[in-house]
Amino acid sequence: MFQLTELQHDALIEIFNLGVGQAAAAMSRIVGDEVTMSVPMISFQSRAEVARTLGSDEGRRICAITQHFQGAFSTEAFLMFPEEKSLEIVRLMVGQSLSLEELSEMEQEAMSEIGNIILNCCMGAFANAAGKELQGSLPTYHVGTGDNILGVSGKEWDGVVLTLKIDFNIERHHIYGYVAFLLDMPALNDLQRYIDAYLAKLMG
Amino acid sequence: MTTVLVVDDSKVSRLLSKQYILQRHPDWTIAEAASGEEAIDKVEAVGPDLILLDLNMPGMGGLAAVDQLQAKCPSARITLLTANVQDATREKANALGIGFAAKPITEALIDEILSAFGKQ
Repeated sequence: MFQLTELQHDALIEIFNLGVGQAAAAMSRIVGDEVTMSVPMISFQSRAEVARTLGSDEGRRICAITQHFQGAFSTEAFLMFPEEKSLEIVRLMVGQSLSLEELSEMEQEAMSEIGNIILNCCMGAFANAAGKELQGSLPTYHVGTGDNILGVSGKEWDGVVLTLKIDFNIERHHIYGYVAFLLDMPALNDLQRYIDAYLAKLMG
Repeated sequence: MTTVLVVDDSKVSRLLSKQYILQRHPDWTIAEAASGEEAIDKVEAVGPDLILLDLNMPGMGGLAAVDQLQAKCPSARITLLTANVQDATREKANALGIGFAAKPITEALIDEILSAFGKQ
């Protein structure tokens, strides 16, 4: 069974918190409003549990922007919102200058760019903390249930998956969403080595 | 007359950059390209004073396009405008002698870029 030591776990939370703080600041600049974030959640889950984490027990449809990152370790990154909120988020991003038709036309593309910014903020913190570069793919946009979204990564996700998840809330507009990063077993071993390198760097 | 070439595969990013620049300078000309290759193809004809260059695009990325953009239009100032906030990316921009600005594109960020360009 894969396990992180208490020190490795704390280090992972610390780096993730840094990234989340930057992501919250970026999201706040995008929507021009305050964005609050929850405490990061780290858990080891089965595929079925991950699908529920990404979606809901009721199989509600969500809008997800996904990106694959690789380098010191690899991960599938997800930014998710309720499907019905995405147009409102794009409106907050571009302001009132576009018609509803124009807004709808650029909805997917604008959401992809938001995902690109938010997910890169989080991964940038990981890259900078240990001085190790991570390469990100182009963002892709999907709508579906948690299980659908999990399927688009092309991975089987059999065995244990590490899920890093953070909830965020744009309270004034009643918009909530979350960011999640999934790592399978080979990626977990790389992540452990990455954290050890980060701790070694910290301790000189 | 000042001309800016906005290079980004994201239509909304091009739209925001264009909108914020034109709000400040309605007489400027804004040209657009959706990839590094397209930027290289049109840079001589456009003759930009400033190039806002995204990094992560389909095909040739922004950094890979810098050498050819500089060769074809040596007088243009280039600022990398990217979601990639990694130190390694900033260092690569520094090494190439170009500016660096982190997305999201906001009015304040465009002010900063134009101020560094000396035309705010």
